[in-house]
Order: sequence, then C-alpha cells, then structure tokens
Amino acid sequence: MSDVIRTYELTKTVKGKTITSNVNLTVKKGETYGLLGPNGAGKTTIMKMLTGLIIPTSGEIMLFGKKFTESAKDGLKRVGSIIEYPIFFEHLTAMENLRIHCEYLGFYDGKAITQALDMVNLHGIDDKKVKDFSLGMKQRLGIVRAMITKPELIVLDEPTNGLDPIGIKDMRELIRMLNKEYGITFLLSSHILGEIEQMADRIGMIQHGKLVNEVALADIQKLRTDYIELVTSNVQKTVYILEHKLQISNIKIVKDTRIRVYDTARSTSDISKTLISNDIEIEEIQKHTSTLEDYFYHQIQGGDKFE
Amino acid sequence: MNKLIELEWRKLEQKKVIGEVMIYWVILMFLPVFFLKVVMADLAFTDFEESYSSAMELMSAIQMGFVLFGASMINHVFIEEYKNKTMSLSFGYPISRKKLVMAKVWFIFLAVFLCTLISFVLSGITTYVFDLFIDVIHGLPTLADIISFTVKSIVHSAVVSVISFVPLFLFGIWKRAVIPTVICSVFLMQFPNFAGLLHIPLNTNMLYVVLGLIGLVSVYLSIAKVNQVGDI
Repeated sequence: MSDVIRTYELTKTVKGKTITSNVNLTVKKGETYGLLGPNGAGKTTIMKMLTGLIIPTSGEIMLFGKKFTESAKDGLKRVGSIIEYPIFFEHLTAMENLRIHCEYLGFYDGKAITQALDMVNLHGIDDKKVKDFSLGMKQRLGIVRAMITKPELIVLDEPTNGLDPIGIKDMRELIRMLNKEYGITFLLSSHILGEIEQMADRIGMIQHGKLVNEVALADIQKLRTDYIELVTSNVQKTVYILEHKLQISNIKIVKDTRIRVYDTARSTSDISKTLISNDIEIEEIQKHTSTLEDYFYHQIQGGDKFE
Repeated sequence: MNKLIELEWRKLEQKKVIGEVMIYWVILMFLPVFFLKVVMADLAFTDFEESYSSAMELMSAIQMGFVLFGASMINHVFIEEYKNKTMSLSFGYPISRKKLVMAKVWFIFLAVFLCTLISFVLSGITTYVFDLFIDVIHGLPTLADIISFTVKSIVHSAVVSVISFVPLFLFGIWKRAVIPTVICSVFLMQFPNFAGLLHIPLNTNMLYVVLGLIGLVSVYLSIAKVNQVGDI
C-alpha cells in the first residue's frame, strides 16, 4: 500500500514555543487514519502543515510521494480539507462559495456541485447566504466543499464538532461510504476516543506535540483483556482468599482498595460468594472489558486522560 | 493571474465596495468647485482659479483622497480575510502564497487606479459644467489643457494607487490592523497639506515619487515576506 502522507521530523515552533516536535507520520492509501490526542496536543497544527495553511519550521512532508513545500503545492489539487471549523465567505451563497472553490482548483463540473449537495442532504439553499446557515449546515457544506473536486485524500479536523446526534451518525456513515466505495483516504482528528474508534483503521497518538505511537485499531482489539474489578477495605485478606481458596494467581492491586482479577475463569458471583463467606466486605464488584481508552491511557502515562 | 484577480473581485462584498466608491466619486466631484468658490475664494496666495492648467494642480491634490480608498481595499482584501480566516482557504489551494498576494496587489492596484481615473473624469466634467454657469475658473480649457489633464489623470491615478500600498506590509499583512492602516492613509493623503501648514518647502512631484517608492517597497516586502509573516 503506497503512502499518501509521510512526514519526516515535522516540527513547528511559534515564538520559541514548540507546538509539534519531530513528527514522523505515515498515512497509507485507502485507509482512515485518526489523529488522537487531548486538546492542545498539536493535532490541528499537524493538519495545518499538511494542508499548506502554515509552514513547518523544520522537517519534510511527502504528499502522494512528492515533496510538499510552499513553492510546490501541486499535491493539494488532490486534497480536500476542513481544518478547525468550516470557513466560508459568509456574505456569499453556498453555491457562490462552492463555485469559487472549484475555480481556484481549476475544476469545472456544475453537476458535481449538485451531486455533492445531494449526498449530504443539503437542498434548497441556492440563494441562502452562508451567514444564515446553522453550524450543522456549515459543517455539511464544508464536507461538500472538501469532496466536490473528487480528492484522493480528505483531511478533517474534529469532523463531528457542532453536529447533532443524527448529524454525527450521518457524518460517520458518509466518511465510511466515501472511504469504502470511492477509496478516498481520510486523515481525521479527534480528542474523543469513541469517535475515532468508530471510524479509523489506524491511530496516531499525539501528546505534547509528539507522535507517541501509531497503531492499527485491529491490533488494539487483539490486546483487549477482560477483568473483574472489586473494591474492598481489606485488600490483603481478599488477595489471600483469592489466591488460596479460589486459586487465582493473576491479580493486580490497582489502588489501596481496588483489586483486578484477570483470571476470568472464575465468575463474578463465585468470587463474591467466596469473599462474603469469608467475612470480606465488598463495596463494589464488576466485570470489565479493557477499552481503547485504557490502552491509550497507558500509552500516555501521566498525560491527560481523554474524554 | 487574470483568473486570480477576477476571483478577488468575486469574493468581495461588492455592493459595499461599490457604495463606498460612489460616495468618493460624489464628494470628490464637487470638491474642486467647492474649494475654488468657497474655501480659497478669499485667499490671496492661491491662484488655482487663474486658469485650467492651475486648477489641475488642485484637482490632483484632491484625488489623493483615493489613497484612503486603497486603505479600505487593503482592509477588505487582506485584513478581513485574515480576521475571518478566509485567507486559510486561499492558502489551502495549490497556489503559492506569493502568487496569491501578487493577485491581491494587482486587484487593489487596478481598483484604485480605475476608480481614481473615473473620479478625475467626473470632477473634470463637473468643474467644467459649473464653470460654464458660475465662472469658477478664468478662461476656457484649451486642447493642450485637455491633453495635459488626460495625461495627468492617468499618471496621477497610477501614483495614487502605488502610494496607497504604503501601509500594506506593516499594517495590512504583518499587524493586520484596520485603524493604523486608515490613519496611515489619512496621513499620506494629507501629507502635502501638513507640510504646507508647517511651512516646510516641498516639491510635490518629488514627494509623490518618494511616497510611491515607499509603496513599492511595501509591495515588495509583502510578497517577499509573506511566508514568514503570513501564517494564519
């Protein structure tokens, strides 16, 4: 699979402050790549550099196998994007905005505009000025603009921001459809794990401007583990009973009162019955499946916990 | 480049800009007569009403008002685009920033040049018509006066357009500040008058050349430095 984006030591410094540092990112053709990280981690800055909105302080970007610089921006003909939030000439109508966009890219296909508007269910907006649009409508219109010229790569920064639950679902389905049916590569960003989990094939974790890890979602699924977590005031005695009476050896004390049992051959009811019969007071007992959140939380030790 | 210049026009709030230009035209149309008949009527040291060739000097000074229109265009084409972040749309196209800035500069130049030229024609005609009825200027315009007026209108319109770029780099692209841009333009527009008030002897033509050169330097810096100071 060829690389659509490849960055080498991509760094951006503003007024002496490093926003992103030595980012080596790879997005492969046809995949949906999710940039994940807390607010202020540097996701938007990376996207801005990849779409020519800001110039990197150092490092290199390869777009569709060619070096991408301020003086060699041809690769952008094959890219659609929404960075931060969709920006329009508010005093112009949606159609005027879309036509201007197409003309800047040297793309002339009147039908494509109508088709794209239909795809996101934006109808009857011909004479309506963009300033009269709701945020959700602007987001849809932004998507239309990003895909109207049939790009091979679409870069979307927090694509579900400002959308209602139906809009979020529609957006997810649209991204999936464009990815599967048209083979469009997506680079998405989000600070919400659940959001990325539902759309991305591969994830790049950004923390303090650095790419901490790149991992395929399928690989994380394999690492998933189930465990039973219980809370008790008598940890030592509980551990003793679990080990000697229930023959459970895979135990981890998480905090002073919290124990995790990774041997799931024993059921929650077995454990609670045995502990109660041994006069152990159980404050809480629950079966868990480790989530993507757990994985990332461990990856970014000491970092901000995601939403 | 032509296409990029056309797109600059299409992105503008056209009604607002046209309305603004109309106001300039209407005001400047009557200003020469107003100055000759009212403001300077009793001033002994002025001789603008002596002949059409003298009146042309006054006409040129009045048309410097379009430097302020240039500031307004810098505001619409650069500052507003930065503030509304629509500049990021332009930077996201496969066109270098230098080329985009060049297109914007050409667009402002053409807009200011054409509007100043039309203003020259309108105020020339208005002054002449008034002169027919209320004797504003002594004598009648000769063919030489008309040719000289035509040449002067074209040259001065170009000079005004170039001078209007003086605030472009510092206040338009770097600081992105509307008020300093306007104040700078008002100052440039009034510079010959200030000099007169302060009794500083100035060769007006030399002054226009110097201000024009500063305008060109500002354009050069705007294009050359856009990669360093033009980030959104």
